[in-house]
Amino acid sequence: MEKESVKTKTSYFPKPYAVKGGRSMPKKKKRLFRKSSFREAVTGYFFLLPALILLGVFLLYPMASAFYYSFTDFYILTPDEKSFIGLENFTFIFQDAEFRQAFWNTVYFTIIVVPVQLAVALGLALLINQKLKFRIFFRTAFFSPVVMSLVVVSILWTFMYNPNEGLINEFLGMVGIPSQPFLTSPDQAMNSIIVMSVWQGAGFQMMIFLAGLQNIPNHLYEAADIDGANRWHKFWNITLPGLRNVALFIFITITIAAFKLLVQPMIMTQGGPLGSTKSLVYHIYETGFNYRDVGYASAMAVIFTVIVLIITIVQRILIREERG
Amino acid sequence: MKKFRYAVISSMLAVSVSLTACSSGESGEEALPSEPSSSDDNTSADSTENEDEGADDTVNTGDVETSVEATGDEDVVLEFWIHQTGEDETNVYIERIDDFNEAHEDIHVEAEVIIDDGASAYSDSINAALVAGNLPDVMAVDGPYVASFADAGVIQPIDEFVDEETKEQYVDSIIEQGTYQNELYSLGAMEASVMLYYNKDILEEEGIEPASSLEDAWTWDELMNNANQLTTDDRYGLNLFMDYDVGEWLTFMGAPLIWSNGGELISEDGTVVDGHLNSSENIESFEYIASLFEDGVVSESPGQTQFEEGKAALALGGPWIAVSAEDAEMNWGMMPYPYVGEKVSPSGSMAYAVTSITDHPQEAAELMKWMTNEESSIAVAEATGMPPAQASAFEKMEKFNEKPWSIMKEQVTETAKARPSTPAYPVLTDAFAQIFHAAALGEDVEKVAEQQVSRVERELRKFD
Repeated sequence: MEKESVKTKTSYFPKPYAVKGGRSMPKKKKRLFRKSSFREAVTGYFFLLPALILLGVFLLYPMASAFYYSFTDFYILTPDEKSFIGLENFTFIFQDAEFRQAFWNTVYFTIIVVPVQLAVALGLALLINQKLKFRIFFRTAFFSPVVMSLVVVSILWTFMYNPNEGLINEFLGMVGIPSQPFLTSPDQAMNSIIVMSVWQGAGFQMMIFLAGLQNIPNHLYEAADIDGANRWHKFWNITLPGLRNVALFIFITITIAAFKLLVQPMIMTQGGPLGSTKSLVYHIYETGFNYRDVGYASAMAVIFTVIVLIITIVQRILIREERG
Repeated sequence: MKKFRYAVISSMLAVSVSLTACSSGESGEEALPSEPSSSDDNTSADSTENEDEGADDTVNTGDVETSVEATGDEDVVLEFWIHQTGEDETNVYIERIDDFNEAHEDIHVEAEVIIDDGASAYSDSINAALVAGNLPDVMAVDGPYVASFADAGVIQPIDEFVDEETKEQYVDSIIEQGTYQNELYSLGAMEASVMLYYNKDILEEEGIEPASSLEDAWTWDELMNNANQLTTDDRYGLNLFMDYDVGEWLTFMGAPLIWSNGGELISEDGTVVDGHLNSSENIESFEYIASLFEDGVVSESPGQTQFEEGKAALALGGPWIAVSAEDAEMNWGMMPYPYVGEKVSPSGSMAYAVTSITDHPQEAAELMKWMTNEESSIAVAEATGMPPAQASAFEKMEKFNEKPWSIMKEQVTETAKARPSTPAYPVLTDAFAQIFHAAALGEDVEKVAEQQVSRVERELRKFD
């Protein structure tokens, strides 16, 4: 019974966020294409050209050069003296304690942030989907951190986390909790960044969840009411399955975004204390710009790419299996 | 295709390089006559030397000389990059550049002001221009980075344009900072120092006598005891400004704690760290630092104005603390940097250097000398509150001949020591800062020192 209802429901969806989005579209497209003359095709590609050029210059070319640099000893002060050193950069990655630390920091951040942010976003979406007073106000309030610059947010939270005069510690002091070294203790710094990141990011996913919620046909709830389902039943059997595709999309994007963690540690802790908040991308940035070792930084960027690629592929495979 | 988003970041290296290159390329067009061709600097040096031999004699003392005659038929256009940390400071630079242009009919300087956020904004611009081959003729560089630029051949020695007499006008630490492998590469725009500031009211209350001259500077033990005594429930004894980034500040402020105990960051020739950075003397110093934090005398996150608000009785801070303390209308004073063995104090600040790609090294050196001469030194010192780079400027500025500023003068002229001159400096300074920070957090200093040593060793291998 349940499975069937899920299937019928999904077919109602316009699937804006479906992972295999546009499955139903190709038929139409093909027909269109067959009809179109060669000339029209050329015109079409001509329209594509600006985008292709931009992608080439700002995406493909830098990627290709990073790949090339990763096999060289490119030192930024002597750009003309770079020489091919084979896999040396790559073999060093496996001996680099800082890389290892940065890798596990990033993994830790991702593993915590993804479920927490997903849950918070869903919670907020459910909250503001109800017919509350000041609904618009809450929507704006929850969404506003998203439109703020991450740099600004990071600086603000740095002030709030300050042990001596920070807002959060002042509140803690009022209820008798001693001042916490949020960003200056190696044990707390990453968790403090996680809290701030969830606060900043969840608003965006909340909006997507909200769109998903409003796409669930009302008659399903009405039918459930007739069957005598309580709130919990409705949430578990209608709302959650209805949000499945949306949640999957959010899951993948948060994972990738979490892996790219850079701004927060850069602004708030400079990767410290004792490297406890150094993320992979920040380590790559530091190596390339501060220590000028573009060759090694590029090699790490290549490895980083592979890691993200693997994660994405694994996620897709898992999702596909579940769907089938 | 979200997965490709990573590329925006992972390819930042190349992208931002090409972006910045574009913008500096535009300004390069304005400076068409001097468009630096990457010709061999030896040949270009020769060609300009002949043209301007005369000019060299008239302005080489660095005095404000307006009687310079145009010697070449063609105008020389110099592109000049200056850093911006504060508006007053930048205005002084611009004024001095205008004066220079007026005084030199045959040289025209075009200045480009680049924001220096204290992190990497300014050096990112240099890196980008370097890769794109768009460096200016003269640029401001941070003092301790001179060696790495010199080693890579990005900047060129200026000994032939700066005679002994001119050199002697600078305080020793400026020449020390600008010298790499016995050749002079840079001249400092200003000096810097770290003083032990104190809150007069609090010290009086506690009956602690401040040191009033370099001679009776506090020892480490005195600092420890007094700072402990000054620490109360709602007040720290000492502020080390741990809120500044874990980076250059810790090396700048903290290195004398190593030096004074007979230790070093790196071997004299700047090639070996093992046995130097992790020497037993240094471990002792780091343990001294650790004990300051352990006893709760120093805060790990003091906030921006802990000293000015009276929440710290003492502060080891830069010259800018004098400015902010004065603004806060507090009752403050300054003492010399505490010592244990030799009396040493921090030094070094922004300096100018001539790039290797310039076609006019002589004129470029002329500009450098002008920007660091007595008049410029005084103007910059007044605008920034930093000590001047020229010894005579100290005599001419009344402020430095009265207490407490005279102590800063004594320190800059007598105990100032430049940070080590090594091409691996960017990694070395971070390594030092990491050990310092580990000490502050009560971590195993020896273990962290070993880790950092192997990191710097690897970096040093690049320069063999």
